[in-house]
Amino acid sequence: MSEDLTRRALLGNVARGTVLLTLAGGAGFLIRKANGQVVWQVDAARCLNSRLGEVNVEACSLCTSACVVALSAVRAVNEYSKCGRCNVCPAYFNITSAVDEHGLPSEKLCPRDAITRKAIGKVDPEDPANNFYEYAIDEDKCDGCGKCVMKCKEPLGLGSITLRIRYDKCVNCNRCAIATACPQSALLQLPVEQAIRPPEVRRLGL
Amino acid sequence: MQYRQVRVIAGRFRAALRGVAVDKGGHIYAAGDSEIKVFDAEGALARNWPTAKPALSVAVAPDGSVYAGEPGQIEIFDTAGKLIDGWRDEKLLGFVTAIGFTNDSVLAGDVGGRAVRRFDRHGKLLNTIGKDNPVNGLLICNGVVSFAVDAQGVIHAANPGKHRVEQYASDGRLLGHIGRFDGVDPAGFTGCCNPTNVAVGDCLYTTEKAGPRVKAYDFSGKLLTIVAEDAFDANCKNMSIAVDSSGRLYVADTVKLAIFVFEEVAA
Repeated sequence: MSEDLTRRALLGNVARGTVLLTLAGGAGFLIRKANGQVVWQVDAARCLNSRLGEVNVEACSLCTSACVVALSAVRAVNEYSKCGRCNVCPAYFNITSAVDEHGLPSEKLCPRDAITRKAIGKVDPEDPANNFYEYAIDEDKCDGCGKCVMKCKEPLGLGSITLRIRYDKCVNCNRCAIATACPQSALLQLPVEQAIRPPEVRRLGL
Repeated sequence: MQYRQVRVIAGRFRAALRGVAVDKGGHIYAAGDSEIKVFDAEGALARNWPTAKPALSVAVAPDGSVYAGEPGQIEIFDTAGKLIDGWRDEKLLGFVTAIGFTNDSVLAGDVGGRAVRRFDRHGKLLNTIGKDNPVNGLLICNGVVSFAVDAQGVIHAANPGKHRVEQYASDGRLLGHIGRFDGVDPAGFTGCCNPTNVAVGDCLYTTEKAGPRVKAYDFSGKLLTIVAEDAFDANCKNMSIAVDSSGRLYVADTVKLAIFVFEEVAA
C-alpha cells in the first residue's frame, strides 16, 4: 500500500470513527427518549452563528446565557467530513492576533480553550503549513457560546462547526429557555423520529 | 500604483459566474450558467453558446480556440463556439477550475487531484504539478485550483491553505513561493485559506475571500497595491481573475454575478 493511501486511510478512519461515535451516542439518547416524545434541536440554517449570509457580525451566545442547565446543554460540534483541516483555522485561532515566529496567529479564539488541534497524517515538523490538522472540541469545556461557529462558516471557513443540543445534558423543558430567547427562532421542538433525520432531508419533506 | 473601476458587466448571468478570461483582442469570456458568454470590450454580449456540463472555467488558447473546464472534461470550441474537440477523464479532470497554456502544452487545474495536470495539445497527459509534497497536493479548502502562466512559462499556482502562491516549472519542479499568513497586514493573506485565485501580467494579481479583495504583488512577493475591496459582495469567494495585455483586470463576483473591470490610474 502506498504512503498516500495509508495517510488517506488514516484520515478516513479517524473521520468515520468520530462521526459514528457521535451518531451512535446521539441516536442512543434519542432512542431512550422515544415513544412519541419530542426533543429540542438547533436549526443550523436559522442560527445566526451558522446561517449563510451573515458576515461581519458578532457571534450570538444566547444558547450559553439562556439555558437553564449549568454550562448549557448546547455544544459546538465539528463535523469532520466537512472540515478542511486547515493550518490556520479561524475557529481555533484568533486570526487578527499578532503573528508568531511560526507564522501563525499568537492567540486562540475559544475563551474556554475548548478546541485542541494536532497534526495528522505524514507530519512535516519544519513547516506547519505542510500538514493537515484535526480540530477536536472538548465538550466538558465548551459552553456553546458560538464564537467558533461564527468563524467557521463560509466564506471565512467551511461551515463544519455547528451548535447542537446534547441530549444527555438537555432536561427537555416544555418551554425551552433558549427557544424563548432566540430571536431567530432557531430552536425547534421535534418528534424524536423527525429529530434523528438530517435537517436537509427534513426540510425537503422526505 | 492605483486602480479604478471602469466597468461592471452585470445582469447577464442567471445563476452562476465561475470563470473569466480575456483574449488578445480584448474580448471577455465568462463561464457560468452552463454557457460560455463572450462580451466585447465595452461589455456588450457578442455571442454565447452552451457547454455540455456546467462551465467552471474558460481560457483562450494562443490560436484563438476556447477551452471550457467542466466536471470531468474539457470542451474545446472555435471562436464562433463550434465544438471542435473534447477531453474526458473523470480521474485526471475531476473539476476543471482553471486552464492555461505554455508553448507546447495545455494545463488544467484539477480539483479532484488538488493539482495542475499538464497535457500535450492532443490531450495526452504529460505530467502532474503540485502533488509532490507531504500533503499530496495543493491545499484548496475552497474547492478551486487556480493558476496562471507568465511570459517565461512559469506556473503561478494559488495554494490557499498555505497562504502562498507557488511557482512551478512545467516539469513540476517547485521553484519558490511568495505570500504568508497575516490577519491584519494587507501584505499577507488572511482567513483559513487565501488567495483563492491568481492572474499574471506585468505583476501577480490575487483575489481573496472573507473579505473579498484584489491585490497586486511584484514577483518577489512585495505588495504593490490593493486594487479593490469594496466593490464585491461580502459573501463572495473564488473570484476568478484575468488580465489583458494593457493591464486591465477582469474580476468575477460570484454572488453579484457581475464582472468588474479595473484599470491602473496613470501616475
